[in-house]
Amino acid sequence: MIDVFPAAERHSADLGWLRSHPSYSFGAYNDPARTGFSVMRVCNDDYLAPGRGFGAHPHSDMEIVSIVLNGLIRHEDNMGNSVVSSFGEVQRMSAGTGVIHTEFNASEETELRLLQLWFMPKERGLAPSYEASSFDVDKLHNALLPVVSSHELENTASIGQDMTIYLSKLEQGEELAYPVETGRKQFIYLIEGVLEVNGVKLEIGDTAQIDAADELAFAAVTPAFFMLIDLP
Amino acid sequence: MKQTFQVKHAVGGRMFFDSNKLDVPYTVEALERGWRFTVNLPQGPVLEDLLANKNELNVFIFQEYADQPTLKTWYYVKDGPVEYDADKGSLTIVTDSRIEYFPHEYSV
Repeated sequence: MIDVFPAAERHSADLGWLRSHPSYSFGAYNDPARTGFSVMRVCNDDYLAPGRGFGAHPHSDMEIVSIVLNGLIRHEDNMGNSVVSSFGEVQRMSAGTGVIHTEFNASEETELRLLQLWFMPKERGLAPSYEASSFDVDKLHNALLPVVSSHELENTASIGQDMTIYLSKLEQGEELAYPVETGRKQFIYLIEGVLEVNGVKLEIGDTAQIDAADELAFAAVTPAFFMLIDLP
Repeated sequence: MKQTFQVKHAVGGRMFFDSNKLDVPYTVEALERGWRFTVNLPQGPVLEDLLANKNELNVFIFQEYADQPTLKTWYYVKDGPVEYDADKGSLTIVTDSRIEYFPHEYSV
């Protein structure tokens, strides 16, 4: 079953320095019918003004992935990490028993766009950790490229949950197939373009929650940039 | 020194309790392992929301000084317990560990 949540029905928040498009309840936006999917709790498509960001704050027992789509993000935390990431790089923070961090737009000129993704961990109470990884953006071309995974894959960040995040840029008219393991669920977020998934059309900003599919067939109606997450 | 006690939802920071907004008694007690917070709260939708999210709470104590930077202390709620005694109108939150931090020490 494919459950599409159109971008037009999605909540939006504009704080001036932050424009946020959460697919699930987040902060003051609290819809009991939309609190997550499988182990996924947060999918925010955020735009941060130059030089602005999220000040020091804590997290615990959450796997937090930041995927930069445009601009530069600066991460700092109380574990001593200070990392600037751009498109082609991914951050994974396992909050475990607690971490204090900041996330800021590292540019004074360019808006930052990032996907902020939160997942419940497989195990609570672990030591916190942070990892930044990079991938070859050319390999997104007409392929599903894993960028975060609990499986040990080259050029992917690890994560404390049984899951894999893929990114793909599909040319207009191109198709891809993704075989589904029995019992798994999938989440799709369309970052750019128009995409069909098993014949169901998604437009920019739409999400799809998929349960009990045998295979996913992707077809790009226009050039499409999308994220696929394979979940338990 | 001004002290503030806050309880927020860990997903996005929705506020459940802020001692600046609701002037009610609260206590913080050090345990052999962790800390116990007790606060008198009336029943209502905010308390129900808090209890429905008792596994996803951020508990804070802020200490603001006139002549030095604000110290924030965040408490980790692992297994709690987080309980409400309706007869006493008292909410108890048991926390597991804590991290103290000065926000100004992080660059922007």
